[in-house]
Amino acid sequence: MAGGTYQAELNRAGASATGAWSQAWFLVRQYPLGAIGALIMAVFVLAAIFADAITTQSPLATNPRVSLAGPGATYIMGADFMGRDVYARIVYGARISLAVGIGSTFLGCLFGVAIGLASGYLGGWFDLIVQRLMDIMQALPLLVLALVFSAAMGPSLQNTIIAIAIPLVPSVARVIRSNTLALRELAFVEAAQATGMSEWRLAIRHILPNTIAPLIVLATAQLGSTILTEASLSFLGLGVPEPHPSWGRMLSESAAEYMRRAPWLVIFPGLAISLAVFGTNLLGDALRDLLDPRQRG
Amino acid sequence: MLRRTAALFASAFALAGVLVGTAALAPAMAQEPKRGGILRMYQRDNPPSASIHEGATFSVNAPFMGLYNNLVMYDHAKELDSFDTIIPELATKWAWGDGGKSLTFTLQPGVKWHDGKPFTAADVKCTFDLVQGKKEDKLRTNPRRSLYDNVLDVVPNGDHEVTLKLGRPQPSLLNLLASGYTPMYPCHVNAAGMRTRPIGTGPFKLAEFKQNEMIRLTRNTEYWKPGRPYLDGVEMPIITNRSTAMLAFISGKLDLTFPTEVTQQVLRDLRTQAPKAICHMGPVNVSTNLIVNRDKPPFDNADLRRAMALSLDRKAFNTIIAEGEASVGGTMLPQPQGVWGMPKEMLESIAGYGPDIAANRAEARKLMEKHGYGPGKRLAVKISTRNIAAYRDPAVILIDHLKEIYIDGELEIVETGVWFGKVARKDYAVGLNLTGNSVDDPDQSFFENYSCKSERNVTGYCNPELEKMFEAQSMETDLEKRKRMVWEIDRQLQEDVARPIILHNHSGTCWHPEVVGFRMANNASYNRYRFEDVWLNR
Amino acid sequence: MGAYLVRRFGLMLLTLFGISVIIFTLLRIVPGNIVDILFDSAGMVDPAEKQRIARELGLDLSLPQQYVAWISGILRGDLGYSYVSEKPALEEIAPRIPITAKLAVLALVFSVLIGVPLGVISAVRQNTLTDYALRVLSLSGLSLPSFWLGLLVLMAFVSWFDTLPIYSDRITGFWAQLALFSVPAAAVGFRSSALVMRLTRSSMLEVLRQDYIRTARAKGATRQSVNYRHALRNALLPVVTVIGIEAAFLIGGLIVTETVFNIPGVARFLVEAIRARDYPIVQNLVMLIAVVVVVVNFVVDMLYAVLDPRIKYGG
Repeated sequence: MAGGTYQAELNRAGASATGAWSQAWFLVRQYPLGAIGALIMAVFVLAAIFADAITTQSPLATNPRVSLAGPGATYIMGADFMGRDVYARIVYGARISLAVGIGSTFLGCLFGVAIGLASGYLGGWFDLIVQRLMDIMQALPLLVLALVFSAAMGPSLQNTIIAIAIPLVPSVARVIRSNTLALRELAFVEAAQATGMSEWRLAIRHILPNTIAPLIVLATAQLGSTILTEASLSFLGLGVPEPHPSWGRMLSESAAEYMRRAPWLVIFPGLAISLAVFGTNLLGDALRDLLDPRQRG
Repeated sequence: MLRRTAALFASAFALAGVLVGTAALAPAMAQEPKRGGILRMYQRDNPPSASIHEGATFSVNAPFMGLYNNLVMYDHAKELDSFDTIIPELATKWAWGDGGKSLTFTLQPGVKWHDGKPFTAADVKCTFDLVQGKKEDKLRTNPRRSLYDNVLDVVPNGDHEVTLKLGRPQPSLLNLLASGYTPMYPCHVNAAGMRTRPIGTGPFKLAEFKQNEMIRLTRNTEYWKPGRPYLDGVEMPIITNRSTAMLAFISGKLDLTFPTEVTQQVLRDLRTQAPKAICHMGPVNVSTNLIVNRDKPPFDNADLRRAMALSLDRKAFNTIIAEGEASVGGTMLPQPQGVWGMPKEMLESIAGYGPDIAANRAEARKLMEKHGYGPGKRLAVKISTRNIAAYRDPAVILIDHLKEIYIDGELEIVETGVWFGKVARKDYAVGLNLTGNSVDDPDQSFFENYSCKSERNVTGYCNPELEKMFEAQSMETDLEKRKRMVWEIDRQLQEDVARPIILHNHSGTCWHPEVVGFRMANNASYNRYRFEDVWLNR
Repeated sequence: MGAYLVRRFGLMLLTLFGISVIIFTLLRIVPGNIVDILFDSAGMVDPAEKQRIARELGLDLSLPQQYVAWISGILRGDLGYSYVSEKPALEEIAPRIPITAKLAVLALVFSVLIGVPLGVISAVRQNTLTDYALRVLSLSGLSLPSFWLGLLVLMAFVSWFDTLPIYSDRITGFWAQLALFSVPAAAVGFRSSALVMRLTRSSMLEVLRQDYIRTARAKGATRQSVNYRHALRNALLPVVTVIGIEAAFLIGGLIVTETVFNIPGVARFLVEAIRARDYPIVQNLVMLIAVVVVVVNFVVDMLYAVLDPRIKYGG
């Protein structure tokens, strides 16, 4: 159980933490890398929310006077060929990256959970067919599947989210299914069944809450890979289109074109992608250790 | 008599053609040319096919012009591509007759196609039939069909003479025939064959065309021009990243850049990194322009199109893209390199060309507001453009400018192979386009880009009254009179927002000093890739 | 064992069948008619050409008939026709396969050479500073987009050597090609090496906890020899599986890296075909990738079965 695991973990560590703050402090000490990950993610989320407040330039405005200007007082990360502020583009780019990352992870989890629950709970032919279908989808590399989907639907923010969400479904469905299978055998479910609860209600009321922990672990781990996939798609020109400031797009042809004279065009967007993914990976690792100790490496 | 008129034109052109760019002359040809060697030039993108008649970009001319010959061509050694630099090629001589309504070519005997079959007058007729769409076998795209509407018939007289019968006198026809876009095709290869396994009479044969990777030409050992070509072949790796390509050039892995791909910024790098390289920087007769599909609502509304034209800040484009070195003008190449460019005062009187950008945009916003647009109701639109830097960069600036007048653009980037068909079919709403003029001649520019039926008239602008003026200027033999007519047409085109011209680009081409006998023209960039006189001094 | 092999093989065929159905359906529910798309890709203008394309593609047939025609074509080695190059698709795809194969193998070699030793070290020194540093390193390896790494490598080359590794089909010979491919392969392999390291570490830790290692130690084997001989041999099993899985992920890295380094391999070709809207090529390339991934997984499973005596077969 999610709450139980977490509490057990605290107890196991011998923490006498009671208040929320001291619990948090305990966690930070116990999982310093995870805390760093959480901090990095917090910075990106805050930047995305308060993008207007922390930038002075528009991310879209071109300015002939500062074409390829180096990092300086006004343009702290320099400007691109069209004279757009790289810093502003990175800050607003966090919106795109997080929108795509969170959006597609959420969408993928939503469908993955529904399919996994149904598949695990109903079993039988339905389960067999769904499992084969998930196998099939997983046989294709994530990027390839996302590429084909986004090409088929045309590049736009919304389609990018969908294209990345689809390949996520099988892995989520699989984890949820195996959890559901395990839970179905447990006593409290049998007890609920005995009281005559309807199957769907049972699944949603009792089984679903108990799959939250592995789901959180999985979602955090996938968040990083969705951000990477979006960057790759946009880099290849099949993700979020110009003029929207997407980190991957910033690194595509135009940046490479001036990498000799304006290395900041390559360095900063790449750093932003790497940091964001690094943050989610750190956080994901710590959450896995905390919530799902069976998987601990 | 018309021959004399042509000569008259020629001298006028020579006077007008003042060299401005930083053209460096090839080293004196005093030295005996060396034979052998492979010229290495990069290719900026994957050409749609090897068939020049289906091409509308020098991504096709540059790699494949060496496979073919024209009837007449421009002298590759001269500074300008104009009437007085036209020299014989497959036609040894030509004569006007019938009051300027017929043009007879005498053909070079003993010329063979790459597959050994003889070249005859019948092939000339086949070429015209193909381009005019008279054959059963059609070109997949036919960008210059309307240029030859005036050619009523092509009559071979035996194997070595052919006469073009015209509907009206057209002195400029020779210019059109001398362009790199007008190679002779054989009767015995169909249009599809010319795209994949082209057969020409030219100095090189196609050895290999690996999509997105490599184009290789190899010397035609049976070439009919004695002693040519000097090179054993031309090798063109396809490198889509300009920076990678320039580094390859700097490190000596390439002898020649792709024509006109050297921007002002790149040129500065090259001056320090490869100080010995010879660079030609100047007008290329390619304009950056805004295309708006007049048939697609809401752009069927003239006010919207006018507002878009008014939103353009040409100086901003110029500063970013060409560090202020490009020129502003109408359809025709601006003076001094161009013969037909409008005078400055005339140009500045046109809407949107005036220096007060803020006033222009205020007017544009009023036009938009008239149709219900405003800060609360913005117009979202896809801006289509081709996937090369010269298109993508200005497209981003365009989106920024349109933002000022309540239009939110989103870029749609289209591969070269798809782009030309897409705009020809008018399968777009708004686009950032580059229009190349193969020759500095109003007949080419007007008939190709603005006549109602032309495939290259991608905006759907159609003005039959003006088209009559196209024909009138085409027949006019007095240069000054013709200039005035051309100016008036050009002004009208800009006022009608037919295809707002943003800039006339200046850009460069560089080669290492070992490359001898290569030169870019100062008023065109489509006609100098025969490569038969080029040799390597190493 | 035989029964297992047959069952596993049947499963593989079933998966491939499923993938082919999905790909086939996907490219037919694309917004916009497939004929219009190909019309686009061929840069055609005359609407009359559309009927010709439809005929050539056999679009007048029913969907199941079209599907059968496609699959039987593939089995005959006919991968269809590219409307962009106007050549049989096989002629376009075949010469690109060895390029990508070389790059992929080199990247795998790279990832194993880096990943396994670091994983072992990290496990043996569990919870020391070295372990932490290596774990952070591997996590950051997983976080770097390989196209960015590629760009950084290019930038470094430019500023130190003033030149770039530029692909050319004229470069032949083992060592010359090795030099040519090693830089992009390292860029792709870096990410994989991080994953290999993580998995080597965790399987190594698991093995180290097991009884026979303790027994071996009790018997007086030196700590080092136990760690490296016994433990490593057993820990390599799951690593083999991981390499099989990673082969699939490599393809994603190859797509962007071939783009960055201008290498005309089959992975980049997929993107080119997508951009040029050359759907017959896209359909067959995706199928090809699926076949490679599924077959690699099959082979890895077989290897695993042969190598690991603990797995029981049958049933």
